[in-house]
Amino acid sequence: MAVTAFFSAFMGVVVFFFSLSGNMGSPAHWIYAISMLAVFAAMIHTRAYSRWRRVFQVSFALLFMISFIGILYDERGSMSLTQDTVQSGEVPFCQIVIPAIIAPFALTGRVIFPARMTGHFASVMGMILLWFIATVTIGRGWCGWVCFYGGWEEGASRILKKPRVNLLSRNKDLRSFQFAFLFFVVLMSLGFMSSVYCEWFCPFKLVTEYAEISDLPSLIATVIFIGLFLGLVIVLPLLTRKRTQCSALCPFGAFQSLMDRFSSYRVVIDVDKCVGCMKCAEACSFCAIDRETIREEKGRPELTCAKCGECLSVCPTGAIRYQFSFQAVSDARIRAKGCSPVPKNAPSNRFGAYFQAILDPQYLFVFTAFTFSVIVSGKFIPDAFIRIASIAFGGPR
Amino acid sequence: MKVFFSSFAEPLALGLSTGTWCAMYCVPVLLPFLLGRDESGYKKNSLLIAFFLLGRLAAYGAIGFALSRLGLLAMEYFDPVLARRLSSGAYLVCGIVLASGIYAGRCASCKTALSPDSAVQTGSRRPGFPTEFESNLNPRRNALAAAALLIGGGDRRVSFLSGMSVGFHICPAFWTAAFRSAASPSAAGGVLYFSLFYIGTLPFFLPLAGVPFASARRESLRRIARTTQLLIGAYFIIFAGFIPLAFGR
Ligand code: SF4
Ligand code: SF4
Repeated sequence: MAVTAFFSAFMGVVVFFFSLSGNMGSPAHWIYAISMLAVFAAMIHTRAYSRWRRVFQVSFALLFMISFIGILYDERGSMSLTQDTVQSGEVPFCQIVIPAIIAPFALTGRVIFPARMTGHFASVMGMILLWFIATVTIGRGWCGWVCFYGGWEEGASRILKKPRVNLLSRNKDLRSFQFAFLFFVVLMSLGFMSSVYCEWFCPFKLVTEYAEISDLPSLIATVIFIGLFLGLVIVLPLLTRKRTQCSALCPFGAFQSLMDRFSSYRVVIDVDKCVGCMKCAEACSFCAIDRETIREEKGRPELTCAKCGECLSVCPTGAIRYQFSFQAVSDARIRAKGCSPVPKNAPSNRFGAYFQAILDPQYLFVFTAFTFSVIVSGKFIPDAFIRIASIAFGGPR
Repeated sequence: MKVFFSSFAEPLALGLSTGTWCAMYCVPVLLPFLLGRDESGYKKNSLLIAFFLLGRLAAYGAIGFALSRLGLLAMEYFDPVLARRLSSGAYLVCGIVLASGIYAGRCASCKTALSPDSAVQTGSRRPGFPTEFESNLNPRRNALAAAALLIGGGDRRVSFLSGMSVGFHICPAFWTAAFRSAASPSAAGGVLYFSLFYIGTLPFFLPLAGVPFASARRESLRRIARTTQLLIGAYFIIFAGFIPLAFGR
């Protein structure tokens, strides 16, 4: 209880700073702040991180769509991405395109995405800064905790209790394909000096902004966007209980997997506790645990782990946990020498136990990841509440 | 002095100053191809780069020759629309070479007879997706296997053909070189201009010689590279080739 109160107090400061401070008179912001605090407290108290994370991510995906489309209507009067908008560089920058802009920028100094560099809620510099901080803290945890696109798949993948199609034996292929697709997107963006992913392969056009249909190629692109959304974001997650777009096609997800080595937290598997039941592999939405992962006692999930915590909650022996990266690396070195890492001494008094708990990487990771959730959602969720209220009850926003 | 400048120094300088652009067009074609080869080593790798560059040289030579024959008439025929169509056509052909090249290369490397009568063994040792198939593909039924049959198998040929087709892509540097070459008083002058321009772009391909460092021991990387090659081939065929040619976009 004391730990829940401690972390919730800090989360209260985060929520106040990133959402409430300039909006004290807004009921929507108060509802948002109280809901976020309640979700966070429930997460810490029950330790059912993944369940509450899912509640947040699915809600955020839906509310982000409402707010984002509303903002587009305010700014340009439509959801459609016209040539004028592209030429004036007024397109909101999207994190998925980050890996595609790096090589062209390094070689030519040009940003191949028509967005503002600064001074917009989704400017290039703002998003890059956010990405950088997320990378050195939660790494690919961005996909598991923060991504407002991933929430769609998260929701669809939990509708059925059991998968109708089992992808476990295809995990490795999906992961390979995702890295191949990232490589393809990076090379083609360089070769054509444009973001080929946005032009032809983005499933999320349907819930953000769609390209103006002015000729047959733009119609073909729209058909591809709709097909990818329905196939990879709704139908396949529903049938497989996996986040298939995140696991197979998202270039940002693959890029974050490669960048994850710079992050401060890892998910580790205690091979001494593991009984090989494979429940974690079945539960993992990111196809990050295979039979080989468990059989070969790798001690960690594969590269594409998004730190969502799903496996933590299903493991019957509590063998999986969050760990500081430096600790995970040093433990792995000790194990490689055939020894076992020395377990921590049990605290001798209540104060010691309390102190140990607040420095526990589990709580610190969840706190950091949820802080990012607040930073990214703090504008959109209250805005969506206001828009919904104005539609439901009429009156000005 | 003036002749030396316009015939030798200028095309070299043009190649050197715009080589980054050439590399930006060619490296996406060459890099996954090199990374995806079996038994990659410095000798094999250098040979494949040389074949690619030879293919590119053949394309440049052909265009240089044609333009210098046309002389100033080239200005009339060689407009941006034609250049765009030529580029789209180049992508289409390059896409077919790359996509089918996966199978051609694999067939050569596993030394399986490639004939329409025998099913084509396209896979490596293990089954997988999408560049390692367990089943045999019949060229009578499978378009890519049929294209592989046409290409005739072999990494070198794929390398040469992809270099040649990508050489017909009209990039800004190429465009400038083309017009300077067209103004050349003789066909030989045009070829020389293009050749020197080409030599100026070569240093930008040197970093590719280091590819075996990365790919020598990692089968997973080779597998990813082959899938990327297939994706790039498909992208060239559909999005950079067919759609612009058919709909003028
Ligand atoms: S391995 Fe566990 S934490 Fe990582 S993505 Fe899979 S379920 Fe989530
Ligand atoms: S769920 Fe736990 S015990 Fe079962 S295989 Fe995974 S790590 Fe091992």
